[in-house]
Amino acid sequence: MLAERLWQANRDLAEDCLQHPFVQDLSSGSLDPARFGAYVAQDAFFLRAFSQAYALALARSPSPDDFLDLLRGVVNELHLHALYSAELDVDLNHVTPLPACRAYTDFLLHAAWHRDLPEILAAMTPCMRLYAWLGASLAPGRGLRYQRWIDTYASPDFHALAARLEALLSRHACDTASVRDHYRYAMHCELDFFGACP
Amino acid sequence: MTQLISNAGPLWTQATRSPFLAAAASGSLPPDAFHRWLAQDYLFATGLTSFQGLVLAKVPRDCHQPLISGLTALDSELAWFESHAARLSLDLAAAPHPACRRYIDFLMRSAYTQPFPVLLAILYGVEASYLEAWSALAAQGPYQEFIERWSSPAFRDYVASLHLLASRYPHAAAQDQFHAVLEHERDFWQMSWEG
Repeated sequence: MLAERLWQANRDLAEDCLQHPFVQDLSSGSLDPARFGAYVAQDAFFLRAFSQAYALALARSPSPDDFLDLLRGVVNELHLHALYSAELDVDLNHVTPLPACRAYTDFLLHAAWHRDLPEILAAMTPCMRLYAWLGASLAPGRGLRYQRWIDTYASPDFHALAARLEALLSRHACDTASVRDHYRYAMHCELDFFGACP
Repeated sequence: MTQLISNAGPLWTQATRSPFLAAAASGSLPPDAFHRWLAQDYLFATGLTSFQGLVLAKVPRDCHQPLISGLTALDSELAWFESHAARLSLDLAAAPHPACRRYIDFLMRSAYTQPFPVLLAILYGVEASYLEAWSALAAQGPYQEFIERWSSPAFRDYVASLHLLASRYPHAAAQDQFHAVLEHERDFWQMSWEG
């Protein structure tokens, strides 16, 4: 399967994300809540672009139903961010994207508006697969400060969505240089994103 | 100095002055920096061609002439880059540097999501900053041909025609996006110099 091959080819960047101080502090619960709040705000900005990219993929798809559950998944994730924002006193409606966030959403929307389904799916899959893997790797259910965040991405529902997106990638894309490039650049954007929140 | 430029403040200087340009003017530019710039600027010019094609498709009839002649000039410029690369045995198929990629992604995302008056301001920003950057240099030394290309009367006229269009179609979001262009220009020069 193409999606699995791409994931394995980019495991180095996934490991870098897992070992990133931001992710490690999130896992241990030692992350400053203000930094977590800043991250949630940037992530909300990113997820809005991600939902637009799903909509544009849906518009190109021969079977639009494939994307409806994925689109609902992002909307649910945004609702969860709204809960965090109330607790953390962060305004999600007026987020100024930091450079790493802007670079990622510009890349994603460039692909979504301008490229074909294989490249769009290759640009979107790393986010879902990486977060499902991080959720599983960060030991869910330990009751630490950011446990709800970890549990969201460790949940069977989220893993099912990631698997669905990976199946679409494997179905619609071939192993081209452009597909590999979109996948790997998205992984780089993920890594940069964790380093973005001061 | 136009309103869009004067409102940009120090960002205009940051986008148009660089150690790279100073070294090009004095003839002390390290060959690897020149090669990096040539390959990345070629990639950028191909991205700009796509952007400009999309802008052309969105603008009213009275904007066509400068944009179409600009596309023809971009095509000549790409051929010119290719001939230089062939002469220097340089591979133009280099991977885009993140700074180049971010700039092109910004242009292409904007082309699809911004109204055409904002796109005119963006295009003006791209070309006006390039004119300013090169025309500040004395046309001499090993890079004289490059300096002359982007400080020529023809290029100056083209930039003036783009300014005319941006002024004819003002937009509340134009200044912010003009600033975004200048930030990308600044980062591009920094990448060309530092790698």
